[in-house]
Amino acid sequence: MIPFTAFGLLGLLALSIPVGIVLFLLAFGIDFFFSPFPLMRGLGQVVWSSSNSATLIAIPLFVLLGEILVRSGVASRTYTALDKWVSWLPGGLIHANIATSTMFSATSGSSVATAATVATVAMPQARALGYNEKLFSGAIAAGGTLGIIIPPSINLIVYGFLTESSIPQLFLAGLLPGLLMALLFMIFTVILCVLWPSLGGPRRPSAWRERFVGLLDLIPIFGLFAAIVGSIYAGWATPTEAAAIGVGIALAIAVQQRAFSLDMLSKALRGAVRTSAMIMLVVIGAYVLNFVLTAAGVSRALQDLLNGLGLGPLATLLVIVLMYIVLGFFIETLSLMVATIPIVVPIIVHLGYDKIWFGILMIILVEMALITPPVGLNLYVVQSARGRAPFKDVMLGCIPYAFAMLLMVGLLILAPQLALFLPSSL
Amino acid sequence: MLMVCVLYTLVEILTRQLGGSLGGVDEISGYVMAITSSWGVSYALTERAHVRIDLVRERLVSKGRALLDAIAIMSLAATALVVAWRGWSVVAKTLSTGARANTPLETPLWIPQLLWWSGWLWFAISAVLLVVYVMLKLFVSDEDAIEEAVGMGGSE
Amino acid sequence: EELSVVGSWSSLPLYKQYEMPFWTETLSEVSGGDLTATMTTHDQMGIAGGDVFRMLSQGVFDVGMTVGDYAVADSAALEGLDVPLIATDAATAQKAVEAARPMVDDIYKDVFNAKVLAIAPYPPQVVFCNGEVSNLEGLKGKKVRASGRMTAKFLEALGAEGVNIGFGEVPGALQRGVVDCAVTGAGSGYNAGWWEVSSHLITLPLGGWDPVVTAINLDKWNSLSDAQKSTLESAIKEKFEAPAWQSAQGALANDIACLTGTGECTYGDAHDMTLVAANDEDLAKAKEVLISEVLPEWAERAGPEWAKRWNDSVGKVTGVELTLN
Ligand code: NA
Ligand code: NA
Repeated sequence: MIPFTAFGLLGLLALSIPVGIVLFLLAFGIDFFFSPFPLMRGLGQVVWSSSNSATLIAIPLFVLLGEILVRSGVASRTYTALDKWVSWLPGGLIHANIATSTMFSATSGSSVATAATVATVAMPQARALGYNEKLFSGAIAAGGTLGIIIPPSINLIVYGFLTESSIPQLFLAGLLPGLLMALLFMIFTVILCVLWPSLGGPRRPSAWRERFVGLLDLIPIFGLFAAIVGSIYAGWATPTEAAAIGVGIALAIAVQQRAFSLDMLSKALRGAVRTSAMIMLVVIGAYVLNFVLTAAGVSRALQDLLNGLGLGPLATLLVIVLMYIVLGFFIETLSLMVATIPIVVPIIVHLGYDKIWFGILMIILVEMALITPPVGLNLYVVQSARGRAPFKDVMLGCIPYAFAMLLMVGLLILAPQLALFLPSSL
Repeated sequence: MLMVCVLYTLVEILTRQLGGSLGGVDEISGYVMAITSSWGVSYALTERAHVRIDLVRERLVSKGRALLDAIAIMSLAATALVVAWRGWSVVAKTLSTGARANTPLETPLWIPQLLWWSGWLWFAISAVLLVVYVMLKLFVSDEDAIEEAVGMGGSE
Repeated sequence: EELSVVGSWSSLPLYKQYEMPFWTETLSEVSGGDLTATMTTHDQMGIAGGDVFRMLSQGVFDVGMTVGDYAVADSAALEGLDVPLIATDAATAQKAVEAARPMVDDIYKDVFNAKVLAIAPYPPQVVFCNGEVSNLEGLKGKKVRASGRMTAKFLEALGAEGVNIGFGEVPGALQRGVVDCAVTGAGSGYNAGWWEVSSHLITLPLGGWDPVVTAINLDKWNSLSDAQKSTLESAIKEKFEAPAWQSAQGALANDIACLTGTGECTYGDAHDMTLVAANDEDLAKAKEVLISEVLPEWAERAGPEWAKRWNDSVGKVTGVELTLN
């Protein structure tokens, strides 16, 4: 059953069948050949229930927020302002990608929305300035993954829900590792671009005066961050509702910048619907596949395997980390979390590890899943903003950042306080 | 498609106007999400926005690409048909039991479910129409038309 | 004969202590290996609670169990299985459930093409509040998270504002004041750390007892031999349903001890929530609201026929009568 799944997945994907459809087809196949349940009878119910979700509506809301910010020029002004502060480093604009991703992560609950926003702003710049698109687009895809570790984060909400742990604590726990990871991304970029300058593009030094004038352009985005995160902590809104508030403020900003028009709104809406429908097809397909895999007993097989190994706590943890890396190639983030949390978290807690800490560790691992092919949503989001350029560029460009994430995983295992310091001190 | 946008705007206004003050926002958001997704997938289809892996495809000659595109749209149509078919059983069950949401709103579930299901039905119909179109073009070896209709999409 | 079984929440004691042992061990022992089961749970399968019996009716699996309240979307009459506040102790709750059983049997047969095998309780659904509350009157004007339609309606009738948010969002919402109070099982609230974000505990079962219904697809049931049927029926009654009920009262006392620190907590650290004991006057008033507003509304939703059956069964054993018009 496991080889069938793996080869079926790779084969169908290679045929360039749409990813969401591949997940459906695979689910049909596993159901037909291996399942003791006639699962497809319940297909409609699974599709309805997985898409009838107030949590998921944060996805189109955050995509829409990004679309509006892009179309009102805020995103590009933010990008330009940050460019002045960071692009003197070797790697130039690539740092602006990472810095802008970090900023957007603080207003966005989803990695995909973050990547989509930054990609739309940044890709034209890369073309205009003649950057090597590999590392450039890789940095956007990887930078985008910060969206789910720096609060607000949809995935942390899901984790908190499934493991019954405190969501505000999870949010606090994600902040420091998220910022640290952004720093690691930049350090890796500098190292690579010093060793192989052709990977980057021109460095772009700026005058201090320009830098400080540019700070004015960061006000809207800071305001948004304050409104979104603030409304959550002040008790005005649930995290999902905060997304709607964000859209409202983004619209207000657009009006204030005189960028608002019905045409602009309609374009933003269409863009949001297109992108989120593309994501939703994959998410729904993943739910269906998850449903079939669990019902057919794959999850149980995995748990038996882990228990049967008889390893010590650290070794078991490392096996679990390895498992996430491998599964992360093939399974979409949210379903990877949904499918594994009920199995893995009890084992982890039993071993004496902290639930909140493991949540952050898992988030970094699923962030890696977002940029590892063949199923890596951020790769596709960045690719869809690039148009007809070879897809493998994005994939190759992500490799160094995947290693940065591995390093972060190591750091977090060695120093759990990186995640636990903030929640325990507040 | 426009309908989705209108619905979308509506929920925007709704959520913002009502804030956290009214129960039921979550419930309605859920329905809007389901309906937006099911209608959105057809829109994404006509915009060629669904993600596909092009590692093999980009290495092929135009004939091969057209063939892969045909396979892709056929699998998509088949899946859409199955989902629409099984999706109907959800609506049918709801109609037969007169199901209402398990919430204070007591929304009669057939309304959101019918809207949701018709999105998948439309997805299936558009996909089947595309299959027919692609078959015709495959027959006369018009690869450009196939690329134009169901090839790899780009951005706007 | 191997049955495919889908259990209730995998993280809660009912599943761990009763469902799983029964289906994976006990059943095969008592039937001498004739009846066995493969077991998963709806949360592990990634399906919504409300879909369990729908899928059971479609024959996706053979046996399903979940909170009856999750299925009331498909049958308003089923709300009568779990009326808030009419049973304040486990023995009464069990009597009410037993009285409702024939109704539930009929509902499951008609709506879900299923036969009910057992009905076992979750610990009663109590109220966690962040902020001072001294009695039920104090809930007036407060925003309260409720699960299930009748509980929400009841809270609204008490003057509270029903808020519908997911279980996982509750701690944050309580902490930030998005909601003032939230209803859930005492044990689930303990395990989910709700004591961190709330100060007062009202131990009245305002949310009812959330009985968990175990049902088998009718076609599957009919395909079993008579011997298999009777083995299954008697085993599930004696080895699953009865012990689950027996432990219900003790579990509540223990959960309360763990949450409030009054008494001995047998499974973890005790916490220091303030226990709010409702007085009789309070209780009488709430019952009055229940009888004059909530139940008649339900009777309208479900239809007079069901209301009458409810009166003759559950109403009789709990001493509550709803006026039919
Ligand atoms: Na974020
Ligand atoms: Na991946």
